[in-house]
Amino acid sequence: VSVAPVEVERPETVESVELDAGWVTIVWNDPVNLMSYVTHVFQTYFGYPKIKATKLMMDVHTKGKAVVSHGTRDEMERDTQAMHEYGLWATFSHDQ
Amino acid sequence: MGLRRTRPFAAQRGRRGAVRVGLTDAERQLLAALFDDVAALLDPDPADAPAATDPWRDLEAALRVEPPSDPAVARLLPEGHRDDDELAQGYRRLTEQSLREAKQSGLIRAGAALRREQDPVVLDPDEVAALLKGLTDVRLVLAQRIGLHSDQDATDLHDQVGRLVHRAQRGEALEPAEEHWVTMASLYETLTWWQEALVTAVR
Repeated sequence: VSVAPVEVERPETVESVELDAGWVTIVWNDPVNLMSYVTHVFQTYFGYPKIKATKLMMDVHTKGKAVVSHGTRDEMERDTQAMHEYGLWATFSHDQ
Repeated sequence: MGLRRTRPFAAQRGRRGAVRVGLTDAERQLLAALFDDVAALLDPDPADAPAATDPWRDLEAALRVEPPSDPAVARLLPEGHRDDDELAQGYRRLTEQSLREAKQSGLIRAGAALRREQDPVVLDPDEVAALLKGLTDVRLVLAQRIGLHSDQDATDLHDQVGRLVHRAQRGEALEPAEEHWVTMASLYETLTWWQEALVTAVR
């Protein structure tokens, strides 16, 4: 599985670095979730525009996973939990 | 499944984010019953509770939160971290209970909306969101039960269902396991179609 960095907006403040913002939320491919639904979730929860949400969904579908958000560990745990509420297969991890 | 007059779900004109349900009464009852089943599945399983005896093991057990032993429930409440057991444990301790409760209350809300005495049933945006998540949860459980684990399995599903249905139509008796599988797999396919229709209705 390739580790393709996906373009995700980073907060431009210096403080976010001091808050250990080096964490990511990853969504993994699964055979159940519909492409339309995954795109809908990315638009609804993250507020991403349709083009970006579709691009991330296609990365999940074709590359097996996509980084869907960056932030502090707490934020990424929150995003992971939200993805689990939607039934998506997500994990958080330290951004290498 | 009854003679359908309309699409399973359609955007309700004049009410932003609202969805008109075109399912038959029997279909609505079926879906609501499936939501009840998954909500019940999300009750903590006593078999998963640690059964330790000596104090040291008790302490260790109290600190550990194992993933649910039913693979379908484990898929609904997945690991939060892949490689680091400590982080995965911490995540599960922190979130599992609230995730169970959030899913259960969403399933109950969606079920209640489907059972509403209204013709046609019109869902508000919050109910639509609960229904979308509920359909996902039921499909995740069914997928585990029918052994759908890869994209290839998903691609093959329709043909496999077709082959079994064809055999049954020729008068061949299916094995009980095959009959059970084809019932669940057909249900899965129907729910997939309904969910696609619902996503389309809200886009």
